[in-house]
Amino acid sequence: MSSASSNAKSPGHPPLAIESVAKHFGGITAVDGVSLSADAGEVVGVIGPNGSGKSTLFNLAAGGLKPDAGKVRLQGIDVTGWPTWKIARTGISRTFQIPSLFINMTVRDNLLAAAVEGDWQRARDRMEDALEMLEISHVVDNLATELSGGQQKLVEFGRVCMRDPKVILLDEVTAGVHPNIRQIILGAIQRLRKTGITFLVIEHDMEMVKEICDRLVVMDQGKIVAEGDFETIANDTNVRKAYLGRT
Amino acid sequence: MASKPVQTPKFIVRALLIGAIVIALAVLPAFIDSYTLRIATGALMWAGLACAWNIVGGYAGYISFGHSAFFGIGAYTTAILMQSDFGASFFVTLLPAIILSIAVAVVIGGPTMRLRGAYFAIATWAFAEMLMQLVTVLDFTGGTAGLSLPAYLNEFFFYYTMLIAAAASFVGVWLLIEHSRFGFRIKALRDDEPAAESLGIRTNLVKVQSFALSAAITALFGSIYAYWTTYIDPHSVMGPQITDQMVVMVLLGGLGTIWGPALGGVLLWITNRYIWSTFGDTVIYLPILGVIIALVVLFLPNGLISLLVGRQRGKELISNILRKF
Repeated sequence: MSSASSNAKSPGHPPLAIESVAKHFGGITAVDGVSLSADAGEVVGVIGPNGSGKSTLFNLAAGGLKPDAGKVRLQGIDVTGWPTWKIARTGISRTFQIPSLFINMTVRDNLLAAAVEGDWQRARDRMEDALEMLEISHVVDNLATELSGGQQKLVEFGRVCMRDPKVILLDEVTAGVHPNIRQIILGAIQRLRKTGITFLVIEHDMEMVKEICDRLVVMDQGKIVAEGDFETIANDTNVRKAYLGRT
Repeated sequence: MASKPVQTPKFIVRALLIGAIVIALAVLPAFIDSYTLRIATGALMWAGLACAWNIVGGYAGYISFGHSAFFGIGAYTTAILMQSDFGASFFVTLLPAIILSIAVAVVIGGPTMRLRGAYFAIATWAFAEMLMQLVTVLDFTGGTAGLSLPAYLNEFFFYYTMLIAAAASFVGVWLLIEHSRFGFRIKALRDDEPAAESLGIRTNLVKVQSFALSAAITALFGSIYAYWTTYIDPHSVMGPQITDQMVVMVLLGGLGTIWGPALGGVLLWITNRYIWSTFGDTVIYLPILGVIIALVVLFLPNGLISLLVGRQRGKELISNILRKF
């Protein structure tokens, strides 16, 4: 495992840099030499068909999985192979494809639990801010199990806001939610990116991708097959082939 | 920081209720005979033990079947140190008992708490069995014959010692788990370990800390129990029935709640003694207790405490009964 001391943080480095990362599960190559970096305040969309390696890439970046090859750097610090909790403390926050709320806790406690390893003194103020931004103050005393699917997505988003992340990874954060909730999430992303937070967003909702992302990365069979703005990607033959099987 | 919430009448009622219970427990020995006092002392001990097991089983979500080992470590440490070779006084033995149990919990909990579910339960059960067999063959533990301790025949002393230990355990757990960052950490890892890690919570460390805290409280009661009964052997303080009762008491009272284990511990012990004194030294009390526990598990999955506190109260019980039939 690399140590932080041997990889001093440098202001010239991007918040997140993934360098030639690979991951194999038995004979299957889930991620195959992917390189990707994102600047401060940038929103990068990661799209691709199911099974293309998007969520595995997130797990490699956030520490849920250890890469077989390549490096992951956060603000220049080599965090490759670090445990999830340590990477989280270094500055990555994430949501999950299926919301992973603490089901026996209220919304209030879910949010406060996200601040226990951060600035605890300001936790309640931050919670109020998150509740207001995500418009969930009215369910603050509800148990997580009493929430709708969309509200669960909001609370999970609120949890990542309770920390001081440099990079936020959102895994299908608007999938299956009401249009109003989708707008609330979009507004929150726009607000947070202005503070310099970098977003990596896995999405299937192309309207959202078009609206929010500065740049898109398209994955297929574990590799990046195209990269660029929405218009470039929409006209890319590799992308059409990945999604439709023909050009 | 947001201002503190105003103390509500509910808070005052709760504080008065707790105060009344403490006063009632403090003056109880003056109104009961020595036999009932022994039952009350046992009830306090089991309430404390259930509270200890609840830290790991209820709050962290790891079902341990090895807690009899820590009860035994406490009992044997006190018994050995009070033998004439060492001649330590009872209170002096408590600290080594607690330290030893924490050390063992860290060594055992480190690797086993990386397991989950049945695997963790089996690993802890195997550890407790191994330790019991070890104590059975060692000379300095007295082997199968066990050890006798200096007799101190003062039921009031043991009642108040158990009362102080139980009260300290509950207040400690209440402060540490219901009103601190540690409580958020431990409950978060119980509900969703990967999510807790993604928030920077070092779950492996929190698990071992909770196991050690639980072991320390269990060992404390083991120490007091040894001095109280004046004689211990491997089965009486390390047998699986110790853990089994702790588990059942917590499930009966309410898993992962602060007052559930106390309720379960006191009720089960008193019921146990009542049935035993009514039917004599037979095994008839076991099926009766079994039926009671089965009914609670079926109709009150959140334990008896859910009848007193919580969102559903009696409504939950009625709807559960109707759903079953």
